[in-house]
Amino acid sequence: MRRVLWVLILALGLAGAQTVGNEPPPDLPPKVFEIAKKLRCPVCRGESAAESNAGVTEEMRRQIAEMLAEGKTEDEIIQYFVDRYTEWILYEPPKRGLGLVVWLAPVIGLGIFGFGLYSYLRATSRRAAELEGISEEELARAEAELGRDDEGGAPS
Amino acid sequence: MNPGILGNIGLVLAVFFSVAGLVAVVFSWFLRDARYVRVARRSALLAFLGTFVAFGALEWALLTDDFSILYTARNHTSASPTWVKFATLWAALEGSILLWAMLQTLYTWLAGRKMRDYWTSPVALGALFVIQLFFLVNVLFVINPFTPVPNPPADGPGPNPLLQNHWMMAVHPILMYLGFVGLSVPFAYAVAAMVTRRYQTWVSETKWWLIFAWGFLTAAIFAGGWWSYEVLGWGGYWAWDPVENASFIPWLLATAFVHTAMVQERRGLFRSWNFALVTLAFAGTVFGTFLTRSGVIESVHAFAGGPVGPIFLGFLLVILAVGFSLLGRVSSEVRDVGSVNVWSREGLLLFGALVFVVMAFVVILGTLFPLLVEAFNGAKVSVGAPFFNQLFVPLGYAMLVLMALGPLLPWRRAEGETLRVLAWMAVSLVLGTAAGLALGWTLWVSLTVGLFLFNLVALGWLIASPIARKSRALGGVRAGMGSLAWTRRRYGGYLVHFAVALSALAIAFSQSYRLDVQKTLQIGESWQVAGRTITVHALRAVEDPHRYSVIADVEISGMGTRQPRLNYYPTSRTPFASPSVAYTLGKDYYLVLQAFDQENAQWVTLRLVVTPLVLWLWVSAVLMALGTAMILWPARRAARAAAAGEVGA
Amino acid sequence: MRALFGVLLALAIGALFWWGMQTKDERSELPSALAGRPAPAFDLELLPSSREAWGERLDLSDYLGKKPIILNFWASWCYPACYEEAPILEATWRRWKDQVLFVGVNTQDELDAAEKFIEQFGISFPNVYDPRGKVGIDYGMYGVPETFAISVEGRVLERFAGTISAEKLESMIREVLP
Repeated sequence: MRRVLWVLILALGLAGAQTVGNEPPPDLPPKVFEIAKKLRCPVCRGESAAESNAGVTEEMRRQIAEMLAEGKTEDEIIQYFVDRYTEWILYEPPKRGLGLVVWLAPVIGLGIFGFGLYSYLRATSRRAAELEGISEEELARAEAELGRDDEGGAPS
Repeated sequence: MNPGILGNIGLVLAVFFSVAGLVAVVFSWFLRDARYVRVARRSALLAFLGTFVAFGALEWALLTDDFSILYTARNHTSASPTWVKFATLWAALEGSILLWAMLQTLYTWLAGRKMRDYWTSPVALGALFVIQLFFLVNVLFVINPFTPVPNPPADGPGPNPLLQNHWMMAVHPILMYLGFVGLSVPFAYAVAAMVTRRYQTWVSETKWWLIFAWGFLTAAIFAGGWWSYEVLGWGGYWAWDPVENASFIPWLLATAFVHTAMVQERRGLFRSWNFALVTLAFAGTVFGTFLTRSGVIESVHAFAGGPVGPIFLGFLLVILAVGFSLLGRVSSEVRDVGSVNVWSREGLLLFGALVFVVMAFVVILGTLFPLLVEAFNGAKVSVGAPFFNQLFVPLGYAMLVLMALGPLLPWRRAEGETLRVLAWMAVSLVLGTAAGLALGWTLWVSLTVGLFLFNLVALGWLIASPIARKSRALGGVRAGMGSLAWTRRRYGGYLVHFAVALSALAIAFSQSYRLDVQKTLQIGESWQVAGRTITVHALRAVEDPHRYSVIADVEISGMGTRQPRLNYYPTSRTPFASPSVAYTLGKDYYLVLQAFDQENAQWVTLRLVVTPLVLWLWVSAVLMALGTAMILWPARRAARAAAAGEVGA
Repeated sequence: MRALFGVLLALAIGALFWWGMQTKDERSELPSALAGRPAPAFDLELLPSSREAWGERLDLSDYLGKKPIILNFWASWCYPACYEEAPILEATWRRWKDQVLFVGVNTQDELDAAEKFIEQFGISFPNVYDPRGKVGIDYGMYGVPETFAISVEGRVLERFAGTISAEKLESMIREVLP
């Protein structure tokens, strides 16, 4: 019975992701996946070469394993794929030129929004200083009205 | 009567009552007559019932295998198990927007019931009616799932196999839409506040809805992570895929808003910023819908393209335009007053919000960067997990530090008493980090351990010191504990903070110490790996009506037999791996059947992923949900009582 | 002022997305890393059906620098794209076989299925068998079918991804002819 079912799979032509010729896929050490994670699967939509089960990523993992066995370093292996696929294959954009913009995103964001926050707080405290004339009690009462609940819960 | 006709009737009724509601609120606004608001509320209920009928009609067609309408003919198969049939409703574009529309009408009705301010509620309800009309008109005229099929097929292709592979697919989208759609309520309140110039109180009024939506969004993101983990077959829970990012962006902005809302409530500050945040958070949900349905950016999770891309883009721009024009007016009229001490509760809340906004900025820029670069100079770049993972480490640390300190400090300025515990926190941070390094963990992981303890000490102090104080005052620990119920909301917040710290720990360990290895084994062969013995006992095949599966029986020593499988669906050339996970409190053992001997069934190729502490991520998700429920619970009861009172009156 | 900035930003985002939606099909085209560089050589077994005319193996370096080459990557499981372009390739090959060499690279396929495909379309240009898909990676291929134009000097001039049309193929050939 089991055999019949195998034949059924083959007959339906469903064996797509399986290796061709009923050869087992290669054994892969952990390092292979660590490198593959940094590479994009060329045929997929938004999956890395470590995640995808497409035929081409299987071959990529096999080649990574072979190159590791030959004693190549991680950088050399990554360069090997960049030579063939351009830097598009890297999930980390290059840290130069236009790529620097995205690497500096946290700094840019902190700059823009940090400056916005800073100038806002300066303006509010300047206004507070101008209102210094108003008595502390009045301010405290106004604030008590604003925030009725210490935990900030909604009284709904 | 057939499902197609019933569905269209439901949709037409929903559109009709939404328009009626909209007209009623316009009348109430211009005639200053509150009675029309009551009419609008009733219309909101009827519009919801209309979409519910449409929803029911589509379920009817799916459950009875009626292929006479477009949606079932394209996305359904009679071979599916019942739960898949039920969930097929949101497995493709048209149905998912119908579900969205139904939840939107539900929110409009529920939110309308709670609106008691006759000045702002016409505008808030009006905004919600406009939003739901957008979705309803789309479902009815652009992507109508009930379009009749001239020659109904005997059977259809069935939904995307990835979506049939796990029951989570029946839950995750609903949670996500409940979160996404829920953010429309705070947005509507905000618009109403801006239009009526009531700049202060709307934050308190909408806070319950904000946290409600936030809770679902959080649950949905974790549920999606768990689905990825259980289904996608590579042992990860977050890939920084554009669609995942699209759900993360509104979450980050909503989280920032949850914190800045407190500053507005307490100190009357940040009023125009809050409006900007809530607008962007809601716009973020539409942006995510646009990304998943327009094909602009490639993603595993994208829906098949349709005509809705430009329509959603237009809707997004309308929201932004309305938001920004109101913001322009608000920022010219609102003059917040008050000096903020950096070293105070509000100071740290604002810094925390800044961290979340910067995170959102990084995610937005990173997600759109390939598109930007290509528009700029035609070059192709990819921005993916390794990039985001690196940038989120420092941002995550900043968050962990601020979230421990914020709740400790009193409003306005730090006091000597609260500063004392800081010494203990600093000690725990240093000790935790040193211990981690001594155990041979990486610096980043050790720092996360230190920061986790830092948070733990802070939370411990926050919980213990009021009990101690109250016990002293009331003369007994029991009496002191008894007073806890009064501040349940506060403890809900602490629980959420604790869960976030816990998830940070789980993320740090699972990202840093993951073993991923592939090996071919003969049947009966054993493999010593990661401290366990893995033995393949058998390889067998199982045939279901809707799919065909090949299963390996694999024993992991001390953990029983696992069944990783490959599922073959008739619509797909490639099989879908269904991994088997052995969960433990320490390491998860994750088995994937990669390939097998098709001729003699003599060997299997297994991929094994061993990841530490992943389980704690799901635990922290449950804790976050509990914490959110604790925050929401008393307010909800109070509101119910108030609503009952209103009905009685 | 701030409102104006916001409106401009929203418009810029809108324009970017609009552009992204309009161009999403053409944008899937990835420029080849090899453009202008020497074509990678390979030495592979030919499919049994090609052996009678071309021998046991095909070593591309025997032809590189001597003849312009059109290299086509395909697989029998690539349906319908490969099935649509196969007759076009064969017809064009018959027209130009004196001046241009066509080489098919059968990628990650089963031998029987590949042979059936060759038979179905009566393909007469040489086809090598690459079950692992190694050559595809050397050429930076991202999915079958894909066609490369190699000049008489042995340099890659152009890559075309997807089902190739007769016109496109002719223009590629004119490009590689000396």
